[in-house]
Amino acid sequence: MNNILEVKNLNVKFDTTQGEVTAVNNISFNIKKGECIGVAGESGSGKTQTFFSITGILSDNGKATGEVIFNNLNLLDLNERELTKIRGKDIGFIFQDPMTSLTPHMKIGDQLTEVSIYHDKKSKSESTKKAKEVLDKVRLPRINNLIKKYPHELSGGMRQRIMIGISLMCNPRLIIADEPTTALDVTTQKDILKIFSDLQKEKITIALITHDIGVLAEVSDNIIIMNEGSIVEKGKTNKVLVTPEHDYTKHLLSCVPEWLK
Amino acid sequence: MIQLLFKRLTIAIPTLIIIIAFVFFLMRLAPGGPFTNERALPPEIEQKINETYDLDKPIIHQFGIYLSKTLKGDLGPSYKYKDFTVNELIASGFPVSITLGLSAILLSLFLGCLLGIIAAIKKNTAIDYAVMGVSLVGICVPSFVLAPILSLIFGLYLGLLPISGWGNGSIYNLILPVISLSLPQIAIISRMMRASTIETLNSDFIKTARSKGLPKNRIIRKHVIRASILPIIDYLAPATAGLMTGSIIIEQIFGLPGIGRYFVVGALQRDYTLVSGVMILYASLLMFLILISDILRVLLDPRVKINDE
Amino acid sequence: MMNNDKNEKLIKKALSVKGTSLLSDAFKRLIRNKASLSGLVILSIITLLSIFGPYFLKFDFYETDWNSIYLPPDFESGHYFGTDGNGRDLLVRILYGGRLSLTIGVIATLVSVLIGVTYGTISGFFGGKLDITMMRIVEILYAMPYLIFVIILMVIFGRNIYLLFLAIGAVEWLTMARIVRGQTISIKEKEFIEASRSLGQSSVFIILKHIIPNLAGTIIVYITLMVPSVIILESFLSFLGLGVQEPLTSWGVLISEGSRDMETAWWLLIFPGLFMVLTLASLNFIGDGLRDALDPKDY
Repeated sequence: MNNILEVKNLNVKFDTTQGEVTAVNNISFNIKKGECIGVAGESGSGKTQTFFSITGILSDNGKATGEVIFNNLNLLDLNERELTKIRGKDIGFIFQDPMTSLTPHMKIGDQLTEVSIYHDKKSKSESTKKAKEVLDKVRLPRINNLIKKYPHELSGGMRQRIMIGISLMCNPRLIIADEPTTALDVTTQKDILKIFSDLQKEKITIALITHDIGVLAEVSDNIIIMNEGSIVEKGKTNKVLVTPEHDYTKHLLSCVPEWLK
Repeated sequence: MIQLLFKRLTIAIPTLIIIIAFVFFLMRLAPGGPFTNERALPPEIEQKINETYDLDKPIIHQFGIYLSKTLKGDLGPSYKYKDFTVNELIASGFPVSITLGLSAILLSLFLGCLLGIIAAIKKNTAIDYAVMGVSLVGICVPSFVLAPILSLIFGLYLGLLPISGWGNGSIYNLILPVISLSLPQIAIISRMMRASTIETLNSDFIKTARSKGLPKNRIIRKHVIRASILPIIDYLAPATAGLMTGSIIIEQIFGLPGIGRYFVVGALQRDYTLVSGVMILYASLLMFLILISDILRVLLDPRVKINDE
Repeated sequence: MMNNDKNEKLIKKALSVKGTSLLSDAFKRLIRNKASLSGLVILSIITLLSIFGPYFLKFDFYETDWNSIYLPPDFESGHYFGTDGNGRDLLVRILYGGRLSLTIGVIATLVSVLIGVTYGTISGFFGGKLDITMMRIVEILYAMPYLIFVIILMVIFGRNIYLLFLAIGAVEWLTMARIVRGQTISIKEKEFIEASRSLGQSSVFIILKHIIPNLAGTIIVYITLMVPSVIILESFLSFLGLGVQEPLTSWGVLISEGSRDMETAWWLLIFPGLFMVLTLASLNFIGDGLRDALDPKDY
């Protein structure tokens, strides 16, 4: 059983003032242990909502149906309390905008340690030790100083690395990164991607959501292409990017400048 | 921090002087002096009175005398209560008013924030509607309507609470006045807190906190409250101003021997020094409160640097 | 080719969507909001009653009748809401009081709006040192207990009714000034202002033609929220005996009289109180509704 995550017939619908909107339309896919899978598509393709629904952080007016098998459980059947035990511990999440994703009034150290204090019941000092290890892993300098700082004192790139660090605190089985490089400038992007490469080499399972094909080309083993709530193509990165089969994929790829490919 | 205090003081003192001047000259503008309502007095006596109260000197001179005395803390003699100085009158009413005011501030802040957070967390449920309903009452039923009604119900019909008088500061005498006084502020603060908390709950960093799998209590205690309370700090001074205003009415309705009562009487009788004195007291208190809210802001929001404006 | 057909279909679809103007959209949302709709209805009823009601009643508001003092509400005698200690009919006094309270509400608010908008747009538009100074003044005034100011003003200049309008208005402008300044600053940054400037239009022109119309929505919302506090302020004053003078009456005066007699004549407090509360609640609902209508957030 070497699938970390198995998604079967997932549907996500939202109740809006204009009626019911289907964001994700009956998709199925698997994520194997240790692979880095890229999920690509335009804005509104449903890629983010897919993973939000997996971890149960959909907005109140959203409803997900289908099967999401993780740890031998269907996540969609679990209640909020059971889900909170899995989030942060077995599944780590990295969000898009590092400038607003960290709590402004808490020190960096506390934002890291609280994860393992609550999930692994570690003591403050054990947690701090782990926090420092994790910050080292994401290549941040002057760690002892860093943990006493507040988010607004750090750059976007640093904050995003801290986000990655937070997701690693409890040695999760799966990390979901939602557009982790989109809000960053190109040089910082490269640095972040290097970190993902490192993680990939350690065989940490990653789901990388992005609309930037270049990013996927660099890091992911396999790719899923989504459009308007459905999966249009999936397969090994190299194969899909070089010999796309579906029209939409071709269209998506045609938008990438030649010299990048 | 010292920098902040210093900066505030350098603004506060000139402001206070301006207010003193404003009140002084405004009162002098009023037709008739403090003694014109009484029977006509023989000229020698009138002259003596003018001398005693410095009314015969040029107005700038009068102001100078008044200003220097005030800054030393001497608010002068009351024009109407001839045997008392303003300081004495204020001192007699002060304990009552400060107890009333302080209780009201604390109650308003505590209940207001608590109700606001609860309403936000339980948004669009019965609890939310209930809290917002109470808040609506606080906004739409002015204190001078609410206070008599509450007195009627709890005082007369149910006989539970005294409806007037201070009773030597007994807590029973405080209950109705404090509640009537605080309710409008509780209403406003709970609404602000609710809106602020909702905004915080929708923010990205709370999404992060949720994705960390932290228990809801922890998220609220450590992440939500401190972020949501910031707008309330800005409202602290206006809230107090509102309570000061309200206390004048409440003291009247419940017959409490506080400063507000002296103010109204003084205003109606053109007791210059008394009215100025009370006004200056209120203004100083407010400035002190603005200072406190600045300090609180620096303490609670690490993004605010001390020399930021 | 497939592309052309697809394009044609898209263009057709785009053209078929009928645009709604901002105002009509906002209005529709306002009406749909049940609370603000009821607020509008109730407010209209009270206003109409206050203006026209007295003509249909047989008593005058100053008419005393020593044989009918402290009568409880009673259909037969025609005193639908009862009488006060001077035998005056309560209903007609409430309606007259309504005229006054509502008029003060509107006029004083207009005064505040005038002062506040002027102050705020100047401060926000010209920025710099002028802005800092002007806002400093507002900050200081904002924290002053306004009632005390007004009382002092009333004492000095006498209890003239027109002065009351001015005095209250002159105190309430602060909030409006602050809000207007904030909005002016964000509008000022928009590109169409730059465009206007590059066409050589004068500052005054820009303020009048571009900035103020864009402020309209915000101003309207705040008007509906200021009127209640003006009414309350006037009532406070009247309650203390510093507001309107006999024989004129306002809700504040009536409530003040009513609370003195409430043990024996509950109607003297409850009915004026009810009118006041309904008016304030309606204004608040309308204001909330307007705020949602002009800037919808799904709360």
